[in-house]
Amino acid sequence: MAAEKRPDRTLGRHHDTFWDYCGKGELRLQKCESCDHVHWPVVQKCENCGEKGFAWDRMSGRGKVVSWTTFERDYYRGLMPVPYDTILVELAEGPLFMSNPQGFGWQDLSADMPVTLSFIEAEDSAGPFKLPVFEREG
Amino acid sequence: MADYGAITMPPSDPALSRKTAIVGIGETDYGADYQAERARPEGWVPPTEETLLTTAFERALADSGLRREDIDGITTSFTYGGPPADEVAKMLGVKARFAQANGNIMAGPLPVACAAIAEGKADTIAMLFAVASRSAGRLFGGMTHSTGGVADPDTEDRTPSSYYYYHPWGWSSQAAHWALIFGHYQWKYGVGEEDLFHVARQVREHAMAQPQAVMRKELTLEAYMGSRYITRPLHLFDICVVNDGAVCLIVRRADMARDLAHVPVDVAGWGHSKVKKNKMHVMVREQLRPQLQEASAQALAMAGVSLAEVQHFEGYDASSFHLINQVEGIGFTEPGTGLAFCRDGQMTVGGRIPTNTSGGNLSQAYMQGWSQVAEAVRQLRGEAGRYQVPGAQVSMTNLAQTDQTHPIVFVRGDR
Repeated sequence: MAAEKRPDRTLGRHHDTFWDYCGKGELRLQKCESCDHVHWPVVQKCENCGEKGFAWDRMSGRGKVVSWTTFERDYYRGLMPVPYDTILVELAEGPLFMSNPQGFGWQDLSADMPVTLSFIEAEDSAGPFKLPVFEREG
Repeated sequence: MADYGAITMPPSDPALSRKTAIVGIGETDYGADYQAERARPEGWVPPTEETLLTTAFERALADSGLRREDIDGITTSFTYGGPPADEVAKMLGVKARFAQANGNIMAGPLPVACAAIAEGKADTIAMLFAVASRSAGRLFGGMTHSTGGVADPDTEDRTPSSYYYYHPWGWSSQAAHWALIFGHYQWKYGVGEEDLFHVARQVREHAMAQPQAVMRKELTLEAYMGSRYITRPLHLFDICVVNDGAVCLIVRRADMARDLAHVPVDVAGWGHSKVKKNKMHVMVREQLRPQLQEASAQALAMAGVSLAEVQHFEGYDASSFHLINQVEGIGFTEPGTGLAFCRDGQMTVGGRIPTNTSGGNLSQAYMQGWSQVAEAVRQLRGEAGRYQVPGAQVSMTNLAQTDQTHPIVFVRGDR
């Protein structure tokens, strides 16, 4: 399947590490080596204790839908055809993760609906990458 | 990366309470200018920050009854750029011994001016805000905030990351923040879009009494439900207008403000609180309540008044639902009850807390918090017209972004 065009990722220190793991089919988030606080999105220093050392904690990929938004306004000037759905997923490990539903839409959503991680082929101006999205569980 | 014009706000120090007063207000003709921009009649010239702020300044000066030479300070607040403050002073014919850029949105600028007056840098400051975003065709989402690509690790934390970080999933814009909060709230409290309608309707009713409001047509449930979605579940009428305009506030040493054209409106207290971690959680699950509670408590303590004494509120209705976040979060009503509270008339004159009585950002104008301060001044002077709060003595304004909040408490001064 052709890669989906997407608006540009934020890249650079630590951001690249996140996307490299995605490329291997792994969702890993920064965990502070000093206080164990898990971060998303990527940070340069721990927002809990200010330290700069991180490990990359692998998420199980299980989660539940906490909220959603469907974009009708074309903020990206045609890059992503509207309307399209976004969901906010609470990962089993706790962090909230913004994503897209794969194989279902906003009409199917309900509070705390269980979802599981998958990856789709995507492309932005920096090149192809794997984008973490979520499917209905089961 | 967008510049949020971050400024260092002076602390909520009771020693700074009521040391300054607002003695003059001036605003541009939001409605007429909006209509002209849409119609673009022959010979129409797009407004600039300079033309807009000149109008607002001259009106504020006339309103105050002061002479031009009484103004000895100028501050400028431009969200998308404008001339340096000393050039503005020259343009306005003001000999300013204090002239500086002063942030942009109405969060820190007023406390900064109050502190400057308390420090003796000036006695009377004309604070100017101007925005010509509509004529510039600005889009409030997408790649407006950061172009993606390689971030500068030293500066990337300055902009709330939620504004730009989720681009690859197509998620951006202020409107999406409020939609996400309301999406969760709908599930949590079992409310629907027809309940949210009442916020847009109430604010619109207030705007209909303002000759210069941008939106003055009655808003029916049918028109609301039939309007297009911007970021579902939010409709067009849940999102603020975008218009060009300017606001001027003239602030003066309180002891020099007692014998002027109007009753002075004392700047009594301010506060500030910002999310430090887990922003999405605090925003979506807690509706910024911890920050709204903390900052309003600071402002009230500095002013020496209680929440029960606040008779009028001007919140930051970038979205209808964000106004509910503030009304619930500050404590005018309990979490989960805000929509019924509004439906039942508690947010207009005769209810618990008349709110956004000139039509707010949703219907009057989007002056990034400045027009709300002008309305607080009119209320405390007793000049607010149809939606005047009888006997108003204490008003609170609040600028709430997606990750921080800045309340200010105003008290009707003595003559």
